[in-house]
Amino acid sequence: MDFLLWYEEGPIGIFIRESLWGYPITLSAHAVGMATVMGVVVALNLRVLGFAKGLSVAAFDKLFIIGWIGFIINLVSGLVLFAGTASSYFFQGTFQLKIGAILLGGILMKLVMNAVRANKPQVNQKSLAFACIACWTVGMVTGRLMAYLV
Amino acid sequence: MNWEPLAIWLSETALHDAMVNYSWMFPMMETFHFLGLTVLFGSLLVVDLRVVGLVKFINMREAMSYFIPLAIGAFAVNLISGISFLCADPYSYFPNLGFQWKMGMIVVAGINALWFWFGEHAELKQLADGQDAPFRAKVIALASILIWVIVIVLGRMIPYLEF
Repeated sequence: MDFLLWYEEGPIGIFIRESLWGYPITLSAHAVGMATVMGVVVALNLRVLGFAKGLSVAAFDKLFIIGWIGFIINLVSGLVLFAGTASSYFFQGTFQLKIGAILLGGILMKLVMNAVRANKPQVNQKSLAFACIACWTVGMVTGRLMAYLV
Repeated sequence: MNWEPLAIWLSETALHDAMVNYSWMFPMMETFHFLGLTVLFGSLLVVDLRVVGLVKFINMREAMSYFIPLAIGAFAVNLISGISFLCADPYSYFPNLGFQWKMGMIVVAGINALWFWFGEHAELKQLADGQDAPFRAKVIALASILIWVIVIVLGRMIPYLEF
């Protein structure tokens, strides 16, 4: 709790609350990062689920780097946005669910790639890919709903 | 451009009533809009980054025959959810600078996509895995990514550009 207040009252918190364009610009970066990381996650998992079978999953490897760039954009912009009202976001159910879903979605993405590389049975690969898309979708929806369910 | 007759018409639609009368409609449509945006942007990343040369070993023909229709489908989701926002409150969207620029950029994106389809598609289909795309196609693909990033940013800016 002390940490949250310290963070909220620090320079980043002040910047995001008081600068005129700080919030909209950071929020825009968060939307672009979301499109990038989730776009790559969804495309990759759709492929694992059997969409566009002619593409080799290995060929997607470099696209994964772009997904990571999107993730880092969102980690940074997310931490900046969080500074604005850290002490209330932290206890908001939708926020907790969002962070949980993204963490789980990230772990699942890793498990999907492991299953693909180890050539695990299709059913294992596909159920992991399905769960992974579901987690990221929950992360996105709860993120959007944070504005409505305070 | 005189948008008022259109705004009057939109505000008399059943969709307008639904958007205004049910509090869950707007957030639900926003969720669809974000999901559509994700699928649209993801699909074009696959195709455009292949053309640019970053993911050269993605099969061009397969990428285009699956991810282009997916992108068009996602665009349709966003068109419908986007129209629902417009119906909800046409008088604030039409004069909004963020909205106007966003619509302009979507037209630019559309022209760029048509150019890609009619000018480059046939030649790109023949590319072997790992083979470089022509320079002109790379420029179009890079422009496509940049234009859609601008569209996302402008959309996100709409609530902050209400004067």
